[in-house]
Amino acid sequence: MSAVALDGISKWFGRKADVPLHVLDDIRFDVPDGRILAIVGASGCGKSTLLNIIAGLIPPDAGTVTVGGVSAGTDAVVPLSVMFQEDRLLPWRSAARNVGFGLEAGQMDAAEKDRRIRDALGLVGLGEFASAYPHELSGGMRSRVALARSLATRPKVLLMDEPFSKLDPGTRSQMHDEVLRIAAAQAVTVIFVTHDVEEAVVLADRIVVLQPRPGSVREIVEIDLPRPRDPLTLEVAEAVRKLRALL
Amino acid sequence: MSDIDHGRDPAATAALERRTQSIAALRRSAVNRILLTAIVLILWYFASLNTAAFVLPSPQRVAETWMNLITRPSFWDDLGITLGRVLVGFVVAAVVGSALGLIMGFDRRIGDFLEPVVIVINTVSSVIWAIFALIWFGLSEATTVFVVFMTAMPLILTNVWKGTQQVDAGLVELARTFRMSRSRILFKIYLPTILPEFFSGARLAFGFGARVVLIAETLGATSGIGYRLRQAADLVQTDQVFAWTITLVALMLTVEFAVLKPIEARLFAWRRVAAP
Repeated sequence: MSAVALDGISKWFGRKADVPLHVLDDIRFDVPDGRILAIVGASGCGKSTLLNIIAGLIPPDAGTVTVGGVSAGTDAVVPLSVMFQEDRLLPWRSAARNVGFGLEAGQMDAAEKDRRIRDALGLVGLGEFASAYPHELSGGMRSRVALARSLATRPKVLLMDEPFSKLDPGTRSQMHDEVLRIAAAQAVTVIFVTHDVEEAVVLADRIVVLQPRPGSVREIVEIDLPRPRDPLTLEVAEAVRKLRALL
Repeated sequence: MSDIDHGRDPAATAALERRTQSIAALRRSAVNRILLTAIVLILWYFASLNTAAFVLPSPQRVAETWMNLITRPSFWDDLGITLGRVLVGFVVAAVVGSALGLIMGFDRRIGDFLEPVVIVINTVSSVIWAIFALIWFGLSEATTVFVVFMTAMPLILTNVWKGTQQVDAGLVELARTFRMSRSRILFKIYLPTILPEFFSGARLAFGFGARVVLIAETLGATSGIGYRLRQAADLVQTDQVFAWTITLVALMLTVEFAVLKPIEARLFAWRRVAAP
């Protein structure tokens, strides 16, 4: 069964005294449960808009998004978390209270909340930094706190918008391992946007290649290479080369 | 030997050095303060020698008057009455100003609509409010409280409103991905963001309130420090005026260092960056 399915998604942005800008045109793809899907494409082909539509932050002008069989935007939502390009931590909250932020939307008793925060921080290896403030943490650690915050709500679907593009290469590949490990362990379906083809090949089971003006699907590529995928091996490098040719 | 110690724990050595330095800086500034006070007292003393007491009373005379003043029971009554008026006006201003500032920041249309009102209120002098209050409320508590309120409220409102414009749209978007309600977003993101701005507005408003209350009291009250000041001026008791002034300065300094500074340090501990 597919965790997330998009069917005929189109979006126009209104411009003052001009024809509306056609951003997305008839996008359709799906992600099987527990799999990782990457959306790649040149900048300006509507990747982030598409992710925001899946997240329910903006409505599509045409088409439907279903998350876990339920159409998105309704109240009966499947737990879904979004990780942004920036860590978006609340500077006045400690790491633990930042992780707990997403749990404060509904009603949850304190003991359960504490347990989830502890679990999530442990999962990203930051158990000892629960009381540290964001300005006391390194970029990689802040990114982990953001990941823990996304996981604390026990999401079925995790959306990531170029989540590690601001980290240095070493920290970045550490975060990749982390995401792969956690996604497998927690059976989370991951959809992420990136402009980095190599990142897409290393992480994803399926890659949606978008082309711009208007943003539409150029090709959907299945990657079934064994994990862990080392970008230096021949098969991975070959897949990266093929994908680059599509862009 | 000491070289070896340095090599062993550079962090501890650096910390110790920093502390020694900051203690020295503190001592230097204390010496400077005492020196300044002494110079002012000496100048005052010499200036008062050849001047009539009703123009410039000598420091000793003011000290005696001040001692007499604070031992009188009516002193504490007047002090309490004035402080009470400042506090009531300030608290009402803080509540109303924060609420209006938040609403104006949360909904842009309301903010744009009400902006001229804030600007107009800000340009009206406290003396004018005092005169209006006298016309409307007569010699009553409402007069002084109203003047404090009209002076303090726009200051707090403006700061809170400015604070709402600093709210990070990214954090609000994050909250929306967690399906957080608007009221929770208000409490969990807007309030903490505006707290520093609110605090600096409140501090300003309290200072202004404490000053304008005297104007209101000299014009329209039969008790309080402002009333006593006018009495002293009418009877040309210049030493009394000095004694009251010193009391007020001491009071404001106490509020600043014993109340506001500690609260600020506690509230904004998260902003404290590690020592350089």
